[in-house]
Amino acid sequence: MASFGRFLLRRTLQGALVVLGVITVLFVLRHVTPGSPVDFIAPLDANQETRRAIAEARGLNEPIYVQYVDYVLSLVQGEFGFAYRSSTAVRPRVFSKLPATLELAGAATIVAVVLSIPLGVLSATRRHEGPDYAATLFSLLGISTPNFWLGVMLVILFGVQFRIFPTSARPVGLIDAAGHLVTVSGGVGFPLDVAGFSDAFATWLRYITLPALTLGTYFTALITRLTRSGMLDQLGRSYVQAARAKGLPETRVRYHHVLRNTLIPIITVVGLQLGTLVGGAVITEQVFNWPGLGSLIIDAINARDWPLIQGSLVVVATGFVVVNIVVDALYARLNPQVMD
Amino acid sequence: MSRETDRRTFLTLAGSVAGTAALAGCSDGGTEPNDSGDGGTSTDAEESLPEPETRDDYLQRANLLLNQDAPWIYLNRQYSVYGKSTDVEWEARRDERIDGDAIEPLGSKSTVTITQSGLGTGLDPHDHRETTTDNIVLQAYEGLLTRDREGRVTKQLASSYERIEPGVVEFGLRSGVSFHTGDSMTKEDVAFSINRMVQDDVGITSPQADQLPGVTGAEVVDGNSAVRVNSDGINPIVFASFATYCDIVNKSWITSNERAYINTNMNGTGPFMLDTYEQDVEVVFTSYDDYYGDAPAADSLVIKGAPESSTRVNQLLTGETDIAVNVPPQSVSEVRNSEDTEISAVPSTRVLYNGMMYDREPFDSVEFRQAMNHAVDMESIIENVLSSFGAAISQPTVEGFFGYNGDVDPYEYDVERAEQLVEESGYAGAEITLHTPVGRYLQDLEIAQAVVGFLDDLSNVSASVKQRDFGSLANDLVDGDITTGPDFYLIGWGNATFDASQTIIPTLTSDGSLTSYEDDRVDELVEQAQSMGSQN
Repeated sequence: MASFGRFLLRRTLQGALVVLGVITVLFVLRHVTPGSPVDFIAPLDANQETRRAIAEARGLNEPIYVQYVDYVLSLVQGEFGFAYRSSTAVRPRVFSKLPATLELAGAATIVAVVLSIPLGVLSATRRHEGPDYAATLFSLLGISTPNFWLGVMLVILFGVQFRIFPTSARPVGLIDAAGHLVTVSGGVGFPLDVAGFSDAFATWLRYITLPALTLGTYFTALITRLTRSGMLDQLGRSYVQAARAKGLPETRVRYHHVLRNTLIPIITVVGLQLGTLVGGAVITEQVFNWPGLGSLIIDAINARDWPLIQGSLVVVATGFVVVNIVVDALYARLNPQVMD
Repeated sequence: MSRETDRRTFLTLAGSVAGTAALAGCSDGGTEPNDSGDGGTSTDAEESLPEPETRDDYLQRANLLLNQDAPWIYLNRQYSVYGKSTDVEWEARRDERIDGDAIEPLGSKSTVTITQSGLGTGLDPHDHRETTTDNIVLQAYEGLLTRDREGRVTKQLASSYERIEPGVVEFGLRSGVSFHTGDSMTKEDVAFSINRMVQDDVGITSPQADQLPGVTGAEVVDGNSAVRVNSDGINPIVFASFATYCDIVNKSWITSNERAYINTNMNGTGPFMLDTYEQDVEVVFTSYDDYYGDAPAADSLVIKGAPESSTRVNQLLTGETDIAVNVPPQSVSEVRNSEDTEISAVPSTRVLYNGMMYDREPFDSVEFRQAMNHAVDMESIIENVLSSFGAAISQPTVEGFFGYNGDVDPYEYDVERAEQLVEESGYAGAEITLHTPVGRYLQDLEIAQAVVGFLDDLSNVSASVKQRDFGSLANDLVDGDITTGPDFYLIGWGNATFDASQTIIPTLTSDGSLTSYEDDRVDELVEQAQSMGSQN
């Protein structure tokens, strides 16, 4: 047990170092990229005094090491600083985008899991038959279709042509929808506004469908392949033969024993992919104007709003590191050998 | 079509006049690049013309000289192209602004939605310098003066405006105006608003300070409901500036709130008041019941941001928005072909040009610069690259601005003449590289590539394009070190004052922050113009 605590501590320290590394790399990048943020804040015709005043007001005239130490110290205290352009605090801005990104990542994962596991199972159990080839073709298409193209096509088809789903935006969030279940005075009260909730939830669902499909497709393909090979691997094991010999029905063998064992590595991949999705939904968010971290990062990069860029990326990096530590910890609990 | 023909005929005439003038300059100044670094021939070119008299004359003369000296390759005036639902009535404005109270929803519709390219940076009317933020702020905040759709100066919160003495103007204030929180607008509020913009020690350091050029401060007038504004010098464009910037804020509301609060809330005098603000997502306004003027036609106004132009167009096509800003040329036919949507386009106040550093080879030769202008078929670029949403320009100032010279026409597309001028310049065989930003202006890279294509077609010039990050290009141009900048670049210039001086001074005079040109006579003409009062 003590060794697990030490393992966790070591992992956490390593994670902290990774985040510090990210912060440092970002900071260095910021100073080697050409173009001063002042050029994005001030108009082209701003005179030198205006420029100097803008730089001073944002601490851009300080020596680099002072800016670095200040930045790291304020991050440690949980302060992300202020965006250059709007003088609004970075932290609430970044965290206000997090729900949208997590919703999209979550929905995409659900889409992927719901589609891919049955496909993978089908493909493994009907190996070298029609369904297997169909599933393989589908996953190949999924992997090789670029996200932005699929997104644009879905919008044109289901948004503009058939008008089934809205083209873009996210008018309500899941938390807003859940707000209907909470009375105005706060706290859960009765009667619950179920109608209001289901209305809001339906709207949310309508808006998230296309982005979730877009983002989930690549992922679907990946998990289908993983499920297929995992199933095939398990099906060849001797316990399967034993179970069959024992007279267990084939469905029970497949779904109770084989699929279960296959799921363990899949869950790991899904967990890690969730971390990737948080930072990797940038293109999908752009195409669907989904107001998440990805859109914020693009916007901030275009404006060279470094506090905002740093703030968002530090959050993404931290999220990734935390997911990794959690996965590692789970593994360690299941298989203490990995602790060495 | 016949107009086109007329223009061509006229161009030929104008071209030959310009050619003669240039040749005169050539024989006087010599074909060798001159040592003084003065690339102009202006004094010679205007020899036969009388000395200007009015401010308008001076600016027109400067524009004439700048056409002949060709410090730029004159490209095009950018158009603002909007997609509009047939459910609303609205005419696009020249100054890239969208006035929500001028949008009239038809039928039972009461909410109007606008999707622009972004939601800007915040809500403080003095703490930004971008059109996207302008469009949000102006729904709730108003200035002393404003402009009509065509760009003429009209009164807003001012009831009168006049010059008292050189450098001092007085604004009388409209009565019965209240802020959205209920406070009445006072002269103290007005003076504070102006000072907050122009004085560093009042409130914030505003990036709009130089939008009221020359203005040093404001003070209340004892007794009357009026404010006096002081300027450094005579400041001929003071009213033009006030018609573009200077939103009036409530002094007590501003001073008692944090900067971040002011950036996420609004308290103006305008026809719409802020309902909800979700940063980067949407801004919702409702009409302000106690507005002193006519209530807006729409009860509520929603502004959304979508950086992808295809997203904006799709929203328009499906009726999710009523007005889509900046419809790209490739989407125009799609919007036109849909039954429920149409295009509304208007010339903007922005010009695109290729700056040529007057003191670098080969651009220190006026013949070479003129050759560059003759070499580019701008009409073809406008038709093919901009789907006809653009107009060729002949001078830094656009038509309709104070100081625009209507007698000057764009350079004629004439390859032979261009090649001949290159020979005369002594720079035959020159290799030039055009630096261009990508995605900053409508079709900027495409225009740059087309321009370079034409230049490269000349038998005695080879040209190439270099794509640049806008930030680093801008930094090179404005860092105050003339040796670091590129010598040939594409850039756009917007001028919302509708006055020639605010294009020429920053971009084409010796002291301009973004200048690529220096000519004593142009400097002198503009200086003269700026020392005179004017009526615009």
